[in-house]
Amino acid sequence: MFDVTVPETNMAASKKATVVLKAVKKIMVQFSPFESNVRSTREFLAIVGSEKARSTNMNCEVLTKVKHDKSEPIVDVTFSDGERLLMKGANLTGREMLSAFQSRCIAKDPQAQAAKKK
Amino acid sequence: MATTLCAKLLPKLVWTPLTQSVRHGSKAVTRHRKAVHILRQKLLAVTEYIPPSHAIPRGAYPDKNSQVQQDSGYVLLLKKSLKKLFEENKMIAVVQNSASSAEDMTLLKHRLFKHGITVKFIPNQVTRSFLKDSIYSNMAPLFIGPTVLFVSKEPKVNGMLSALRSSPQMTLLGACIDNKLLSVEGIINYSKLPSMTVVQGELVSGLTMLTSRTTLLLQHHPGHLCALLQQHIKQQSPETIAEGDSTAQEAK
Repeated sequence: MFDVTVPETNMAASKKATVVLKAVKKIMVQFSPFESNVRSTREFLAIVGSEKARSTNMNCEVLTKVKHDKSEPIVDVTFSDGERLLMKGANLTGREMLSAFQSRCIAKDPQAQAAKKK
Repeated sequence: MATTLCAKLLPKLVWTPLTQSVRHGSKAVTRHRKAVHILRQKLLAVTEYIPPSHAIPRGAYPDKNSQVQQDSGYVLLLKKSLKKLFEENKMIAVVQNSASSAEDMTLLKHRLFKHGITVKFIPNQVTRSFLKDSIYSNMAPLFIGPTVLFVSKEPKVNGMLSALRSSPQMTLLGACIDNKLLSVEGIINYSKLPSMTVVQGELVSGLTMLTSRTTLLLQHHPGHLCALLQQHIKQQSPETIAEGDSTAQEAK
């Protein structure tokens, strides 16, 4: 009999997969699906556009533009305090984009989170 | 052995010496795993076998482990159904859904079914391996992430677009209509095209425009026709005179 241990990285990824969009006003995702460098952007969209993520903030809009002009895949996030985050997903992995986005979200909204934890 | 020898040599001794050195050492073959002496350990560690890396240059021979994986029965079934789909249905659209809920899916399916569009879920790996063997290999980069297929026998693009507008998280990526791969802009342009009868009517009217005008002319009164022809000749002749003048001037 051998024990099967679940790798911790997967568990960490699945736990953090729920994205909190409290401090976000608008997310615009733009890509051209026939290019080969859009995988990370599409993964990001799949996680951010899910029902769970959108239920954390119903005012946040998630816009998707599908283009065909061989342009780079871009994610443009507008936060509620006016700051903009522009991520060019051509050479980034989905996880990097997600971690960058989440770290900024958590930094923007620490008070509400701390209040919740208490 | 020593004690037996001593016993034979000194048979008259009653007293056996206090210390008797026993010269048989430990056994070589033991029941437990015997501890390896440190020197032997060191020797073995130093003289371990290190095989040569890449005796054969990489790429010279095909990889041993890269055997073509045989498709399981389920995958073969899916591929057959996909083949049938592509043969029967004129329109196959690829849509990405970022985790819409079950209710939304049922509502969308209902709306699409009214237009005769069915929704298919097929694993991306299967579709990609099927597509790369078929003529639709350029569709393969569309199938990344959570994708859904909308298939219909008749290309009802308007209905599909209206149903997709109501669900915000479905993103239309592309479609294969009449064996032609279209992007989103292409699909929108296709939806704006008038129907086949209208287009044929326009074409026919454009071609027959000239002939209809000549028939109209011929149906006029013959006196009117004569007057028109005379006018035409008069117009023609000053043009030729004007041309003659211009060529004479150039020659000068």
